[in-house]
Order: sequence, then C-alpha cells, then structure tokens
Amino acid sequence: MAIIRYPNWLWPGYSSALDDFEKARRHMDRLFSAFTGSGAAPASSGVFPPLIVTEEGDTVIVEAEIPGIGAQDLDISVIGRTLTLSGQRKPDETSDVNFHRRERKWGSFRKALTLPEDVNPDAIKAECRDGVLKIVLPKAESAKPRKIAIANE
Amino acid sequence: MADKDLQVEEKKEVQASGESTKNVPVFIPAVDIYESENSLTLLADMPGVPLGNVDIDLNADQLTIRGSVPQRPENSGKILFQEYCVGDYYRQFTLSNEIDREKIQASMKDGVLKLVLPKAEAAKPRKIAVTAS
Repeated sequence: MAIIRYPNWLWPGYSSALDDFEKARRHMDRLFSAFTGSGAAPASSGVFPPLIVTEEGDTVIVEAEIPGIGAQDLDISVIGRTLTLSGQRKPDETSDVNFHRRERKWGSFRKALTLPEDVNPDAIKAECRDGVLKIVLPKAESAKPRKIAIANE
Repeated sequence: MADKDLQVEEKKEVQASGESTKNVPVFIPAVDIYESENSLTLLADMPGVPLGNVDIDLNADQLTIRGSVPQRPENSGKILFQEYCVGDYYRQFTLSNEIDREKIQASMKDGVLKLVLPKAEAAKPRKIAVTAS
C-alpha cells in the first residue's frame, strides 16, 4: 500500500499522525517476528514459487522450491531483463481412494522477476534437483565491472 | 482442472520439539495421506532433501519423518532477494496397528517423499459370500 505523505504545511497534524502509524506498524512487525522466529518467510511477493536470488561474482542465481514439479512441467524464459517462470503442478493420479489429509497444493503458476543486471541469454543454465530449481544467469559483458587503467602522461 | 492458480504456502516452522543442534529452521512438511483398499499412502513435500538425507523411523506406532537439507557453502554469494528460508523437515504421525510394517516402501521424486504403508491382512476389507442354504 502506498502511503502518500502530504507536506506538513497543508495539514500540520496530519503528517505526524501518519508517522505515528508508521512507527506503530514497524513495532508490530518486530513483535510478530519475535513470535514467528527466524524461519518466518521474509518479504514475499505472494506469487508461487517463492524465490531466492543471489549474486555470485559474474552470475546471478535464482533458486525456487518447486516440489513435485518435473522439468517437463516447467517453462523458463528470459526476455530482456525479465525472467518468467511458468508451469503447473498436477495432482497425484489416484482413483478410488479416501483422503485423510490433503495439504499439498496443485495448480498452475506464472511468475515474472526483473533481474538486477543484463544477462547473457545464451549462457543461461537451469537444473532441477530434489524439487529445487536453480537457474544460473551469467551477466552480460556490458554489466560486468570494468577496470579502467589510468595512463601516465 | 489445472486452471487453478497455485498459491504460495508459507512454510510452517516446528515449535520446540527438542532443539536441533544445527542452527537451521525446522519446518513441517505439507502432506497428503490417502487410503485405498490395500494400503495407506503418504506424500510429503520436502524440497531440497536428497534421497540419502531422509530418515524414516517407526517406533511402536510412532512414524517419524525427518529430512535434512545439505548445508549451503559459507560464501555462497550475496543475497539480493529472499522469499523463503531453507531448513530441515520434521513430522510425526501415530499409526494404527493395521499396517504391515515389513512391507513399507519409501521413494523420493522431485523433492516429494512417497511412503506406501500396506495394510495388514487382518485389516483388509473382506467380502463375505452368502450361500443359499
């Protein structure tokens, strides 16, 4: 939610009320994180699958937990700086059974992520192991840091 | 059927069931359990757990599932964005006596553990033929 701050001179009391709300919100967040512990999900976009994006030298690594989704049910594409993941998780084929518990979810998904740097689309590698997808995206030459030599006169 | 959108299911952490020595969070895996005529099947989502790291223990009627995720190397880059935490999995169930313990099968595919627990002969439904006298 975007909170628009009005300048103080318009409504002198208004902006400080907003500040108080903001302070209260941060305080509540801290309180809740104390209960839920370190394992609580960090800021989530709410779109499946949850991702971890890391930067290792000249590569960007995107990881996702997608249990039960094989490579054949997954589609990865990169257009410019946008990485799109889509696919579906199928329900187990069962016939004539009674369910005692059904907590695992199924359905289709589509998620887009804006990459922090330009990547080389020809060198992208993806692997799926034990239900974890790992996409390795090497940075484009233009995005790599460059050392500039200073010429002595 | 597959038109439904897959929702993000936030991982639930196990609340203090004997502390782990490793400093990693322990999560409760989501499971499906279904019963057919001859067996009980359990499916558990444990992404990141290789086959060798699954520990299934049946003690009296307590079935314990434990899965540990290999530790990430110390300097594995700078995290730019994180939506989930990596951790181990732990869950316990109480089974009825109707399971044939000798024939339990376990397999792992794409991070999903599948346990097939066959029913003991005595627990299988039996059709009784009525003979006309």
